[in-house]
Amino acid sequence: MKNKKRALYLTTIILFIMFLLIVLPLLWAVSLSFDRSAISSLPSFSLIPHKPSLFNYQAAAKMINLPRYFLNTIIVTTVNTCIAVLFALMCGFAFAKLKFIGKRFWYVFMLAVMMVPFESRLVPLFLQYRNWRLLNSWIPLMLGQFAYVYGTFFARSYISSIPDSLAESVYIDGGSEWRVFLSIIIPLSLPVVSTLAILQIISNWNAYLWPLVVISDYDKQMISVGVALFNSNEYATYYGPRLAVAVLSAIPLIAVYLVLQKHIVASVAVSGIKQ
Amino acid sequence: MKNLRLTKRELKQNVTAYSFIIVSIVTLLVLVYYPMISTVRYSLNRIGIVGYGEEYIGLENYKMLFSQSTFVRAISNTLILSIMGLLTIPVGFLFAVLINSIGNSKLQGFFRVGYYLPNIITGVSVYLIFRVVLMSDGGLLNNFLSLFVGRKVIIGWLADPKFARWGVTIVWVWMNAGYSMLINLSSLQAIPLDIYDAASIDGANALNKLILITIPNMKSCFSFLFITGMINGLARFTDIFIITGNDAYGGAGGTLQTILMYIFQFSFESPNYGVSSAGSMILFVFVLLLTMVNVKLTGFLKDEV
Repeated sequence: MKNKKRALYLTTIILFIMFLLIVLPLLWAVSLSFDRSAISSLPSFSLIPHKPSLFNYQAAAKMINLPRYFLNTIIVTTVNTCIAVLFALMCGFAFAKLKFIGKRFWYVFMLAVMMVPFESRLVPLFLQYRNWRLLNSWIPLMLGQFAYVYGTFFARSYISSIPDSLAESVYIDGGSEWRVFLSIIIPLSLPVVSTLAILQIISNWNAYLWPLVVISDYDKQMISVGVALFNSNEYATYYGPRLAVAVLSAIPLIAVYLVLQKHIVASVAVSGIKQ
Repeated sequence: MKNLRLTKRELKQNVTAYSFIIVSIVTLLVLVYYPMISTVRYSLNRIGIVGYGEEYIGLENYKMLFSQSTFVRAISNTLILSIMGLLTIPVGFLFAVLINSIGNSKLQGFFRVGYYLPNIITGVSVYLIFRVVLMSDGGLLNNFLSLFVGRKVIIGWLADPKFARWGVTIVWVWMNAGYSMLINLSSLQAIPLDIYDAASIDGANALNKLILITIPNMKSCFSFLFITGMINGLARFTDIFIITGNDAYGGAGGTLQTILMYIFQFSFESPNYGVSSAGSMILFVFVLLLTMVNVKLTGFLKDEV
């Protein structure tokens, strides 16, 4: 018994040390972002700034329009998440509960999309939007959300488990399938809604390649691309301001994570989807 | 033969059902199936400016690609980087075993959330931070190594062709090990405990149990992580592109250019859509093969509608 307890302590200590090593780069970055001496060369390692100051943040504020990028990203992420989750639920409901001709065909039609990586249709998709004269707008970022295949898959298996008897009272009252969907299925599917919403928020927030390709105006750009473009700019050679930007752009998702940590970890573990 | 005509009620039922799925179906037709066909078509044509003359040239674009040493190098880079990226599996497994062994408690919850944290941080922030961490002069990693070696270590983790692949692999593993840990942990916790109890009675020690019970029971988890890891690795782009300073050439003497970066270069930097489409097709075939293996393993399409 005593041995077992000792092993437990030892494992805990090892886990703590490894955790500290994992977050060390983050802590160092935060420290550098407040350090006036992090200019064109790096000061020696320290978790406490050598010359504490807010200079880097003030400098960053002049170099990059972060509030604009944040606003853009929040708008697009919100709209996209709502669209994607709603349409995933609609399809999931149809495949789980409704009878119609061609059901199996359309289900396979949707799931087959998982085998086509987005990257392999990047070029024609870009050219298509160019023909439609929709480049340099948010529309290319949003239209694809009207079909959320992974979401459909998870929504279908969740909605299948909702007993039919609950919907019967609506049908007896003469209600339609849409009534059932809106008044029974959606309220009962909140767990799957939150899982899908979390996954969508994270993936939209991190979207990089597609916005980089379709949006050319700086002030319409998403946060990831905006920050990366800033990073490759010549005036970003100063470490302090660069890390201040990195810290600021990491804050929103970390804040969401701290609030919803258990939900997020569970969503990822259940769905097997990373982002 | 059954009566093929629909009754009015059945017709209504069908119309209602289709009202739920029609938007998504049209979206997939227009934004997935049609572009995919376009990719095939473009890859078989010589395309100057799209819309102004396409000339059918058969497999010329593919031949051209494979005769280019840069493209062949991009394929091998991508495969090497994908395989190196699989390090996330043993690392995640190690984390999971340790976290699992401290038992179900508040502390376990803390470690689960804490070790997953790197995966949640906005990618671009991570890349910016690691550009500094991996700096040859004054970077955190080299400083850390210097402590152990006892003299100053100056390794160009992102610039030196000999080390650059390790540099980006460090970033990849740092970001993804938490995800691997979560998947490993949930599969570890699904192993029935009585198998372990029976083994204890038979006098098995912890190492025996790990090798004889745990690892065999984790097979499907490992293969899932292997396949998805390879798929993600093949389409690798964002982290390397940003960390090398928005350079599709890949930096470090081209040792970091992935297939997708190559495609990007020939789509948006010096456009040759025929060639980049052929490249996209090659990427597609790789991913399709792996996905089919994955479908087979996980039985994704098996369950009946």
